[in-house]
Amino acid sequence: MEIMESAVGSTTEEPLVRIEHFGMTFGRVEVIQDLSFEIRRGETFGFLGSNGSGKTTTIRALLGIYQPTRGLLHIDGREFSPDHGDRLGYLPEERGLYQKESVIDVMTYFGELKGLGRATASRWSQDYLERVGLADRAKVRIDKLSQGQQQKVQLGVTIMNSPELLILDEPTKGFDPVNRRLLMDIIEDQKRDGATVMMVTHQMEEVERLCDRVLLLKGGTARAYGTVDEVRSEFGGTRIDIDHDGALPASDSYRVMSSAAGHTVVEVSNDADTAAILRFLVGAGVGVRRFTPTLKSLDDIFVEVYGADAMEGN
Amino acid sequence: MMSRHALRHVVEFEVRRTLTKRKFWLATLFVPVIMILIFGVSIVSSSSSQDAAQAQSSELFAFEYVDPAGLVDEALATAAGGTVVATSQQGIADVKSGAVTAFFDYPADPTAQAIDVYGVNGGLFSNAKYSTQATSLLQASATARIGSTQLSAIARGAVTTRTTTFQDGSVAGGIESVIPPMIYLLLLYIVVILMGNQMLSATVEEKENRVTEMILTTIRATTLLVGKVISLFIIGFVQMLVFVIPIAVGYAFFRDKLDIPEVDFSALEFQSRPMIVGALILLGSFSLFTATLVAVGAAMPTVKDAAPFFTGVILTLFLPIYAVSLIVTSSSAPVVQAFTFFPYTAPVTALLRNAFGTLPLWIAVVDIGMLFALSALVLRVAVQIFKYGSIEYSGRVSLRGALTTWRESKTTRPGR
Repeated sequence: MEIMESAVGSTTEEPLVRIEHFGMTFGRVEVIQDLSFEIRRGETFGFLGSNGSGKTTTIRALLGIYQPTRGLLHIDGREFSPDHGDRLGYLPEERGLYQKESVIDVMTYFGELKGLGRATASRWSQDYLERVGLADRAKVRIDKLSQGQQQKVQLGVTIMNSPELLILDEPTKGFDPVNRRLLMDIIEDQKRDGATVMMVTHQMEEVERLCDRVLLLKGGTARAYGTVDEVRSEFGGTRIDIDHDGALPASDSYRVMSSAAGHTVVEVSNDADTAAILRFLVGAGVGVRRFTPTLKSLDDIFVEVYGADAMEGN
Repeated sequence: MMSRHALRHVVEFEVRRTLTKRKFWLATLFVPVIMILIFGVSIVSSSSSQDAAQAQSSELFAFEYVDPAGLVDEALATAAGGTVVATSQQGIADVKSGAVTAFFDYPADPTAQAIDVYGVNGGLFSNAKYSTQATSLLQASATARIGSTQLSAIARGAVTTRTTTFQDGSVAGGIESVIPPMIYLLLLYIVVILMGNQMLSATVEEKENRVTEMILTTIRATTLLVGKVISLFIIGFVQMLVFVIPIAVGYAFFRDKLDIPEVDFSALEFQSRPMIVGALILLGSFSLFTATLVAVGAAMPTVKDAAPFFTGVILTLFLPIYAVSLIVTSSSAPVVQAFTFFPYTAPVTALLRNAFGTLPLWIAVVDIGMLFALSALVLRVAVQIFKYGSIEYSGRVSLRGALTTWRESKTTRPGR
């Protein structure tokens, strides 16, 4: 598939991540067929798909953990290597840290590996632990922490080098709502500081809150790609909430989704214009008290695209 | 290129977290502490035994004797506290009554018959002084009659020999030169056995704890594994020091007090060639076993899965011991040759032959070169297995798959 141009946010600047004609085969199973997309500098990119759709495989190939069968996978114009000194923060789907070591030792170690001085890494870690409410657990062994606490530590390790590219594979997995909010705030801070964020998640409200553009991966190919609004428009377009007096007349311009006690939701047919629909209703003598066009939610789109896959995967 | 600062941090982290573990020191110090205790007890008891023997030998006691052969010098006997009695019965009766401490019944022909010794019971060890006195008195009398201490000593067979043999034109060592290089063999066994589990778990830990992806996107797999191997070397060196220091201290200060029959610790010879060759073989062997166990660990999902392979490696380490007499005596035997050149039996075989002086220099060079070259190759394979299987969290890694990917990556994506 060719790179699909997105109308919103287009820029002439070289994208930070460029993937072209990426294919991946394990044995005889073709996991990724021909995937192309790019992530622009400074944007938050939602990489979406049901379980087993190839998201993690794509990330691992991008980061050199897997050898791609074919295609080009570049970060900042070249294949990724830890030796390049790129400021990368990667929170993998498979979470884990050195279980028998203390929180502060592990964080400091990763800080040093990411190029920070020992003192800087230690100080940064203390500050971060303070922020996420784990200051008193700094000298506790990782395996003595709860899963949620371990996740926080791992997120700290991920962002401690102020990454230019932050790749988060299901970052909120295992978090309660309070900590999910905290994590979202931290990601937004990173974004404000100029980080480019690539996020894999099944939480569509997170995508709608944070992401500039998204890609929906299905069966190893891009099912949709663009800004959130572009994707919402592409999938079933607009719905209208109508509060009215009298019955709605039938029309080719819309399809009634639900109707009860003067409140009807209709789905606008392709190419139909919402203003024309309003004029049509008023002309037909319907007393319209409220007329609110809305785009289909990403959650609805996700269910529509993945349906049985998502149920099976989960 | 391997990032030097990352390598340093890996080594520091691995060494620090091992050396600060109580479990490590308990395991490491267990054997030396036991050794020190045993040597301590040995020195103390040896010293007290010698003191007791000395005290007993210098202790005079009254005794009677009969001497039908007339061999005992009366003057010497009197000086030692002895009195002649008429009959054996009288002597025995005097001992029974406590009138004298002992009675020696010298026979008519002491070379054909035993000297009957009777004494007041003073305990198993104390009673030995009676026979010592009876024998000493007879020997002293014989010496006095011969008139020459030297001739008397020769007649007793109290002569020693000193053998010098030559190998390649140089003086070959005796048993005293065998012991020092054998220490390398002891160290190899101790370190591989004590550290084997740590070698295995060096890479399994990353997989078991799901750290692999984070670490491999931060540093190269080669950096991580080389760092781990270097840290294992450092930890192994610390363990060797822990073993060697008590031995060295014992040798330096207490060698005269270690009462081990047939071995004169004060005469140990530290010959330069076997010591240097032994050190290099030990280093090469440690490298090979470390690289091999790291590779096994890289291929296995858990330490438990890796354990049977560890047993296999240890077996190869012990296999030459079954042929030790052949290795020591018949270095040209085919089985010895095979053990010498098979990489995993070469360490023990070469160390044994080196200690016993039957390892020619060219074979030593070949063995050392082979051990280091194979270590590097196995470590390279270990890195590839680790990279290939880094996210095979629950399954074993196929060696064929790993090597195939390696070949492909070398042609398509160098430097990864």
